[in-house]
Amino acid sequence: MKKKLWRTIAPLALVALAGAGLAGCSGSDSGGSGDKVTITVGNEPTSDQTAALKVYKKQVADFEKANPNIKVNPTTTKYDAQTFQALVASGKMPDVISVPFTDIQSLIARGQVADITSEIKADPQASKVNPTVAKVAQAGGKTYGAAIGAYTMALIYNRALFTKAGLDPDKPPTTWEEVRADAKTITDKTGAQGYAAMTTNNTGGWSLTSVSYAFGHTLESADGKKATVDNEATKKALELYQQMRWDDNSFGSNFLLNQDDVFKQMAAGNVGMMVNGSDGYNFAVTNDGMNKDDFGLAPLPQEKAGLGTLGGGSIAIFKPKATKEQISAGLKYVDWIYYRQYFDKSTAVSTAKASVADGSAVGAPGLQLFDNATNDRYLGWVKDEINVPRENYKAYLKSTTTLPLVPEPMTQAQQLYGILDNVVQAVLTNKDTDIDSLLKTTQTQAQSAVAGG
Amino acid sequence: MTRITSPAPPPRAVRRQAADAAARRTTIGSPGTSGAHPGAGRRAGGKVRRWVRAGGLSTLVFFLPTLVVFALFSWWPILRSLPLSMEQTNFISTQWVWFDNFTKVLSDPLLPTAVLNTTWFTVLALVIGFPVPLILGIAIGELRRSRQIAAVFVYLPVILPPVAAVLLWQTFYDPSSHGVFNTLLGWLGIGPLPWLNSAGLAMPSIVLQATWASFGTATIVYLATIMSVQTELYDAAEVDGSGIWNRIWHITLPQLRGVILVLLLLQLIGTFQIFTEPYVMTGGGPENHTLTILMLIFRYAFVSGNYGTATALSVLLAIGLGILSFVYLRVTRRWSNS
Repeated sequence: MKKKLWRTIAPLALVALAGAGLAGCSGSDSGGSGDKVTITVGNEPTSDQTAALKVYKKQVADFEKANPNIKVNPTTTKYDAQTFQALVASGKMPDVISVPFTDIQSLIARGQVADITSEIKADPQASKVNPTVAKVAQAGGKTYGAAIGAYTMALIYNRALFTKAGLDPDKPPTTWEEVRADAKTITDKTGAQGYAAMTTNNTGGWSLTSVSYAFGHTLESADGKKATVDNEATKKALELYQQMRWDDNSFGSNFLLNQDDVFKQMAAGNVGMMVNGSDGYNFAVTNDGMNKDDFGLAPLPQEKAGLGTLGGGSIAIFKPKATKEQISAGLKYVDWIYYRQYFDKSTAVSTAKASVADGSAVGAPGLQLFDNATNDRYLGWVKDEINVPRENYKAYLKSTTTLPLVPEPMTQAQQLYGILDNVVQAVLTNKDTDIDSLLKTTQTQAQSAVAGG
Repeated sequence: MTRITSPAPPPRAVRRQAADAAARRTTIGSPGTSGAHPGAGRRAGGKVRRWVRAGGLSTLVFFLPTLVVFALFSWWPILRSLPLSMEQTNFISTQWVWFDNFTKVLSDPLLPTAVLNTTWFTVLALVIGFPVPLILGIAIGELRRSRQIAAVFVYLPVILPPVAAVLLWQTFYDPSSHGVFNTLLGWLGIGPLPWLNSAGLAMPSIVLQATWASFGTATIVYLATIMSVQTELYDAAEVDGSGIWNRIWHITLPQLRGVILVLLLLQLIGTFQIFTEPYVMTGGGPENHTLTILMLIFRYAFVSGNYGTATALSVLLAIGLGILSFVYLRVTRRWSNS
């Protein structure tokens, strides 16, 4: 009898459970009604960043108080190239989310960002952003995003290893011949790897592109229609890699490294120099535990024909299906959260204090978003909170206003970088690589990638 | 081994009550549970009632969650991939492009590289990875004591999370002279070898890791099969004075034949979908020497944001594997039946 009862009840229970599960799937769609505008925004600090989250929540509350007709829905959703398409597909893409410089042009090409040209022009703070930085989010005379953070590719070096090798850590190399010589000295005197390059997950191409700029050539034509991989500058850069790897033996032995790998090696004191973003302080010191006094930053060494350095950073973009009202409201939000600290003293101080409490850096080197006067005023406001040795980046900081910023390749940047990964790997893993013929075949591949995009 | 659908002999058809009882007992060997006998149509209502009374309803309800989950997360995506492979989409607006994605995939110069690399991986995995669990399974089966402990040790690598295992091996493969493997080889006066950094060695290195990570499962399956072989056969063989090799050759291997065939097919299908190991260990390098078909699909979708071409290549891979399985089953049919 008991058995029979169970037979009746069990299936019913299961049906109920399945029903509950399915009901959980359906959600309500958000949308503005009446004159109140609701915006969903990404990049909310996660719960482990206690102080930052607290400040952020206060900022949002203050923002809503100052703009009673705007309701902000913060989410911790972050941009990730691998999940972004699913976000768009599911309609769950926040109205405002930040994306890296590298990906903005392909998002524009795919029509996955809203055109905010007129809104940006009308905005008092966003329109003041450094034009070379703002340009990154533009295409065909239109603007598709607001830059909220920037860096340039620079030479990151370990000051302790420089000292140990008998080099002056305050005189980092300024040309590539000096890079080669210093790398050899470091390897000979300390046994550490003198120079390292990233090679996988498209980072090899990313850094080779920067070094090519420093030698004097871009890898795509300015309009993004032609690949120009087969050029003298890239050839010279690869020859330098080849000499450091096979003649001087100052390039280490592992050539399948991504960005995390090289920063770990740098932080552990196994690597003397590398080319990476000037915001690398956060990776090396904050994340990987490098001694902050050992972290050295210098401008990207330039040859005579050098064009400058490659820039990167984050851009706030807007959902393509967002209404005009949502875009205006979103831009106001961006102003409040990201720009106001440069124009309002109390915001600057409270944001900086939260960063210090969280163990993250204040005054870490990077590319300034606004002009010198605005930036210096900001640094004056937060000078008691600055917790990084800025005197170690003097040369770099000086260069940010003089060294030209060269944009990333316009078309299919990531695909081009992927193709170039192989070029770097070939030179570093195979002693007999013929750079001339390698660049010739790569040019054909790169051109078909650019044309196919 | 089952013959439940064979027509029941006429006298039994009359004894329906008995048949119901048989159905409730659900013993597969009992004939008469089938409704395929003549005149079944007339008694359709009776059949349903009988099905309900035999617990068919709760069977269905218990089956329902599985059915829903599979349909939602497995079958529906499979069906959905067919139209997706003929679309170009940014998930805001979608265009129907017919076979453009397939043309694009087939004209990609990286496709032959990926197919060759994947085939090379499969062949190496077959040569290195296939005999290992078979030999280990038989060896453990021959143990008189500590069989369980041996099985646990063999299975341990499978318990490690795949990415952690891959990262562990990545440090073993450190190409400098201080790397674990290079230190070991150094004692023998060999190396240091570049391992993953060499075009020629990268793939075999990955196969070695993948084999280590997965041989436990197959070993356990073989071991279980060996343990179920009737011991009388062995006893008889031993009485007849046959040695260990004779026993393995004439008793163990023939008994394992069916399992070997299935595991071989599963391995073929599995190795053609290799992704985690090269993705984490080499990123496809050096110079695309470890780029596999699945990595190419991943790049299409998540690097280039082109879901249409990614799905097109997935469909092609599925078709390829389908054909492979069909041919395999055809070729080995006689062998497995006899």
